[in-house]
Amino acid sequence: MSFHEELPLLSTDLLRARAQQLNCLYAVEELFNLPGNDEARVIRRLIELVPQGWRFPEHCRVRIAFDRQVFLSPDFGESAWVMTEKVRSKGRALGTISVYYARELPLADEGPFLDSEVRLLKIVAKRLGHFLEYNRMQEIFTGERAEQAEYGAGEWKTILEVLRNTNRNLYLRIVNHLLYHLCWNGEKDAQELLHDTSLEQRTDVEDTLKDPNRPYLSRSNELPPGMDDRILEIAGDTMDQEDLLKKIRKWIREDKLSFQVQILNRNLPLSEVGEAVRRYYNLMPDKMDLNLPAIKGITVSLIRRFLSDQLHYINVAKRHVHVGDFSELLRRLVFSTQSHGKLGGKSAGLYLASQILAKKAEQNAHIGRVKVPRTWHITSDMLLHFMHFNDLDEIVEQKYKPISQVRFEYPHVVQSFKNATFPPETIQGLSMALDELGGHPLIVRSSSLLEDSLGAAFSGKYKSLFLANQGSKKQRLSALLDAVAEVYASTFGPDPIEYRAERGLLDYGEEMGIMIQEVVGTRVGDYFLPTFAGVAFSRNEFRWSPRIKREDGLVRLVPGLGTRAVDRLSDDYPILLAPGQPGLRVNVTPQDIARYSPQKIDVINMRKNTFETVGIRQLLREFGYQIPRASQLVSIYQDGHIRKPQGAMVDFDEDDLVVTFEGLITNTPFIEQVQAMLSVLEEELETPVDIEFAHDGKDLYLLQCRPQSYDESAIPAEIPTDIPDEDLLFSANRYVSNGRIPDVTHIVYIDPEAYARLSTREDLLAVGQAVGRLNQILPKRQFVLMGPGRWGSRGDIKLGVNVTYSHINNTSMLIEVARKKGNYVPDLSFGTHFFQDLVEAQIRYLPLYPDDKGAVFNEAFFTDSPNVFADVVPELASLAETVRVIDVARATGGQVLKILMNAELDRAVGVLGEPSTVTERSSAQPRVVHHERRADNFWRWRLLMAEQIAARMDADELGVKAVYLFGSVKNATAHAQSDINLLVNFSGTPEQLMKLHQWLKGWSLCLDELNKLRTGYRSGGLLDVHIISDDDIAARTGYAAKIGAATDAARELPMGSGRDR
Amino acid sequence: MSSGSFNPFDMAQAQFDKVADYLELDSASRELLRNPLREYSFSIPVRMDDGAVKVFRGFRVQHNDSRGPCKGGIRFHPQETVDTVRALSMWMTWKCAVVDIPLGGGKGGVICDPHNLSAREQEQICRGWVRQLARNVGPVQDVPAPDVMTSAQHMLWMLDEYEHIHGGKYPGFITGKPLGSGGSLGRTEATGYGVVYTLREALKGMGIDPKDTCASVQGFGNVAQYAIRLYHELGGKVICVSSWDQNDQTSYAFKKADGVDVDALLGVTDRFGGIDKARVKDMGYEILDGDAWIEQDVDILIPAALENQITGDTVQKMSKRVKIVCEGANGPTTPAADKVLEERGVFNIPDFLANAGGVTCSYFEQVQCNMNYFWEHEEVMQKLDNKMTAAFHAVHNLAKKRKLYMRDAAYVIAIDRVAKACRDRGWA
Repeated sequence: MSFHEELPLLSTDLLRARAQQLNCLYAVEELFNLPGNDEARVIRRLIELVPQGWRFPEHCRVRIAFDRQVFLSPDFGESAWVMTEKVRSKGRALGTISVYYARELPLADEGPFLDSEVRLLKIVAKRLGHFLEYNRMQEIFTGERAEQAEYGAGEWKTILEVLRNTNRNLYLRIVNHLLYHLCWNGEKDAQELLHDTSLEQRTDVEDTLKDPNRPYLSRSNELPPGMDDRILEIAGDTMDQEDLLKKIRKWIREDKLSFQVQILNRNLPLSEVGEAVRRYYNLMPDKMDLNLPAIKGITVSLIRRFLSDQLHYINVAKRHVHVGDFSELLRRLVFSTQSHGKLGGKSAGLYLASQILAKKAEQNAHIGRVKVPRTWHITSDMLLHFMHFNDLDEIVEQKYKPISQVRFEYPHVVQSFKNATFPPETIQGLSMALDELGGHPLIVRSSSLLEDSLGAAFSGKYKSLFLANQGSKKQRLSALLDAVAEVYASTFGPDPIEYRAERGLLDYGEEMGIMIQEVVGTRVGDYFLPTFAGVAFSRNEFRWSPRIKREDGLVRLVPGLGTRAVDRLSDDYPILLAPGQPGLRVNVTPQDIARYSPQKIDVINMRKNTFETVGIRQLLREFGYQIPRASQLVSIYQDGHIRKPQGAMVDFDEDDLVVTFEGLITNTPFIEQVQAMLSVLEEELETPVDIEFAHDGKDLYLLQCRPQSYDESAIPAEIPTDIPDEDLLFSANRYVSNGRIPDVTHIVYIDPEAYARLSTREDLLAVGQAVGRLNQILPKRQFVLMGPGRWGSRGDIKLGVNVTYSHINNTSMLIEVARKKGNYVPDLSFGTHFFQDLVEAQIRYLPLYPDDKGAVFNEAFFTDSPNVFADVVPELASLAETVRVIDVARATGGQVLKILMNAELDRAVGVLGEPSTVTERSSAQPRVVHHERRADNFWRWRLLMAEQIAARMDADELGVKAVYLFGSVKNATAHAQSDINLLVNFSGTPEQLMKLHQWLKGWSLCLDELNKLRTGYRSGGLLDVHIISDDDIAARTGYAAKIGAATDAARELPMGSGRDR
Repeated sequence: MSSGSFNPFDMAQAQFDKVADYLELDSASRELLRNPLREYSFSIPVRMDDGAVKVFRGFRVQHNDSRGPCKGGIRFHPQETVDTVRALSMWMTWKCAVVDIPLGGGKGGVICDPHNLSAREQEQICRGWVRQLARNVGPVQDVPAPDVMTSAQHMLWMLDEYEHIHGGKYPGFITGKPLGSGGSLGRTEATGYGVVYTLREALKGMGIDPKDTCASVQGFGNVAQYAIRLYHELGGKVICVSSWDQNDQTSYAFKKADGVDVDALLGVTDRFGGIDKARVKDMGYEILDGDAWIEQDVDILIPAALENQITGDTVQKMSKRVKIVCEGANGPTTPAADKVLEERGVFNIPDFLANAGGVTCSYFEQVQCNMNYFWEHEEVMQKLDNKMTAAFHAVHNLAKKRKLYMRDAAYVIAIDRVAKACRDRGWA
């Protein structure tokens, strides 16, 4: 039965009943949370409220009985139609709550009652139990406090009397304390009493001294009847009343603490832990001097319970988080009574960072001004609770299905999550969250446990959703629930599942915390946006100048929402800054500053409730005057001159504005603030960190904090110490960043001496053209470019090869070689001619100084290995002396070049080795085995399809002589987005050519659709077809050069071999 | 200097020698013009942000000032060589001479990489440069301008230091200043307009009404935009422009047979002349391969983007209809292509004549600064038109008279003017 057919059964009656129950629950919860409420009044109000949750409120009567008191509805009368629930506290029955129907009513699940009403009554009873118990404690202690001034004689007796009635165990423990205390003070009567009760034990102790291996005999802890009265009597007679009161208070408190430690250590549900913490908070309003180990113990237990069980985390957190802090955290925690969950990695990271900043605020004024947006959390196991509540448990099995099926079914999973109902606790919690957060836009983010426990780069794999959070409370709540459901569903999305499968993490239980955070910003027109936002790293892995040290850090800054700084964008650029060297900019000429400035901005459209990207110039023209401190974001571009505006004097209507953040950098303490934050967090967390932040024009907010190593590209590569000399091609020991380039199949080496010998400008330019050709032909991201001096030189192109970014955009790494000339070593460019393009495309950069002491540079390998350049680009063969292309596998008998970079050691090496399938364990992530991203099935499947295309092609009809395969599919390096590169040798009529194109287009679209199912990527056509003629092949022009090429040659596919249907 | 390797100064001298042979210059003139008159090389100590002192190397080469104060840019370049600066200063001498403005040639710079310097440190370098040369540069001696990796900001720092040392206001010391700080109106459009002033005169000379012509333009940056505007005002029709697409890392040509609409295109163009291809398609433009601009069936080609665009290969794709190649960019035509153009009788307006509007406007800036009176926009454009028109005719007349290719004629006239000035002064 489909979901839709089921709908009519959900009658409006039932829906209304559900709504009534929810309303009742809200009202009850609100009632219990009202501060300082008189118990009797609360119970009477409860009796009024409860009927509203039942189907027939008008016939509903309530009876609540506890402590020998009975409370009844106004016209109460007993009847046969009743449901009763015990009111308990810590397992002990305090009383009962019963709901009666005054007359016979239509039958439902249990008599006239609905199942959901039974559940509702259970919840109400439970909350009532908590309330009563809490009140008991309050009574004891507020009562006691009131008396502090008077020291009424015998007041201690009243306390113990209450205790005896409400908490016998505690009472007995206190009496025991008292007994020992009296003995200790030498009270003869007391000593006798003790002697009477523990005779056995004393002999036991003596025996034990003789035989240490004999166990103690056990004895009952229970005092003989009447003995407690006797002890109290002695105490009353011999002790100072005031002292006695003090002692009892202290013992009670200590006892409560030990009770909490028990709770925490017994892995009880969060609701009880929460209650314990709340009680603690009430116990300790003035932070009394309790013994430290107890507090430490509680803190650690709480950290482990709520935040993380990672030892390193606990170690750091226990220095910065105090028990009292949890009370505040719990106030904004959404969980069910049975929850055992945690906050998840992202939430725990932010929470700890915010605590650290709060503790350091006094020492550093910059840090003192950093804020954290109001954040609510849903505990991680609520996802399972949610699924269970909706009978969605089997979705957990999704992960074991083939990935294409996962992808195919994912939209359905999303829909079933979105149509599911949330457990009342979640709804209630989120409703409270909305009450506090008001109509402020929100971001709903995942906070995965995997990220927490494995440190894997899981962020970004799961969804984050922005909500405008506009409209009535009902609309807002439903939108929020919808968003949470969608984020939940993303746990079962194909991308994270595939990612986990690749890393052997499939069997890890799915739990996902949720973080609901206020979006920082202001509303202008229909838009809501922070003035600016970004990410910052305490270590700089992309240095554009040798003067920038790693410790100088890196900031990626964008106007508006920070999404554009977090992601690497292909069509836009963030502003890059090194906080330790704010004066050194990536771009120095006005033209470059303008070209590499952000052009677009992400905002929330409050009217349409959407996340949007809009042009910056248009936004500033419209709202520049309304965005707080917008004048600090921009510079004015005029006649090729870039000028910082004079104070706030920006004409947003007329001026040609470029986002430079110049005012922000030079006129505000922003840089110092970020730097202070990074250095404090790095120091306290004992690891380099990356943070996300946003600024609303008034305050800087911290949005996220995690170890920098969570970003895979920033993990230092382990450099083997025992590399054989013959395998080491080069080493670098200056300006090294972290990372690894695992499988380099081709090296393009511009011979420095040969390049220097070129005598005309045309020849020098031709080298750049040759590199551009190679960039198109060599396997993408599997070759490196090595050249003398500065890549991208213009003007004085003797200093380095004249290339633009389009000539090099497929390389995996740009290497600049600085050979000593006479007594000086030339400066290198650090890639500055296209630095930001390299950063966004994740093309790495490495400078080599072969003449440095200790540096290895196996020049002979580069100059003597077979040079396949002339075969690859025959039309430029005359440059073969200068441009050398080394097919690494051919030169070494099947090996590849691996470049390992470790910034901690400031050392990088290029070594020959076997192609990797499973990479070595990385030191930063000892527990995670990285499999290479490229799963075998990407290329196998493509290869099979390519063979099919050739096999099914009707050569005569289409005028085709041969079909060749080249590129990543042929090389078995294809990944999820790879094309299938085909060369088709055609010699037919124009009509046939058209037919051929159509035939191939059909394949292309079809394969693209299949690939979309398998990988999620759609490119608009999976085939990359190049039609070549016999003449092309004879002349070896263009792609025809691939046929029979010396390196990476195209492979002919057997045609028309049938495989009929 | 290792023999056989590329040396820009050798190249500049060889070019000069060729023309000197043609002009049959005497040996003294040759000796004088083959080398700079003066070269300054000096140290600039700068206290860096971290407190350490770093010493930078500064240069100024004054190639020739027989026709007036030297004029030329200041380059900040990490691997500057004196030979590069010498070659560039010589080219400045010829460039000023070909448009017949009363300035000589100079060039200078500092060996440094601004990527490694904060703004404050760059300011100190600028001021240090001026301190070292304060007596050897100035409105009546040598007038610097922005160049590689220097901008209006650097010019203002230098001007400030110069005025500080000399105790007066000398805005004519330096050019490339922003409007309001001694800059001239018309600077943005000067090069593009200059290109079309020469084109207009060329058409006039060939007896062709611009209204009967159409053109294809490579590039849609500053030069191209203003060139197209003015050409359209003359009645011509640009049917194709090409532009670089930053996202696709390739260029495209955009064709509209009934003529492109500059204002509409500007609406979908970024600051750098990159045209949004999706939006322009909606506007009815045909999107072609970037190289297609050269293949169009037009009367005029205006390469206004990069060097080495019309090569031995691409020139073969050129339509037979093309009558004029007007070089808005620097060095768009290779020697191999020049040969083909010359054989086919295509009229060439060489780069350093066609795009001299920029340097002419710099001269105007200096003139206005010296008299501390700034012209209206119209006046600047009118004067620019006069200069460019006169310069074109001088070159064209010589080319006709001597049956020279325009590019050669331009060099001949420039070198001849400088040689004459030197001889008149008794220098040779």
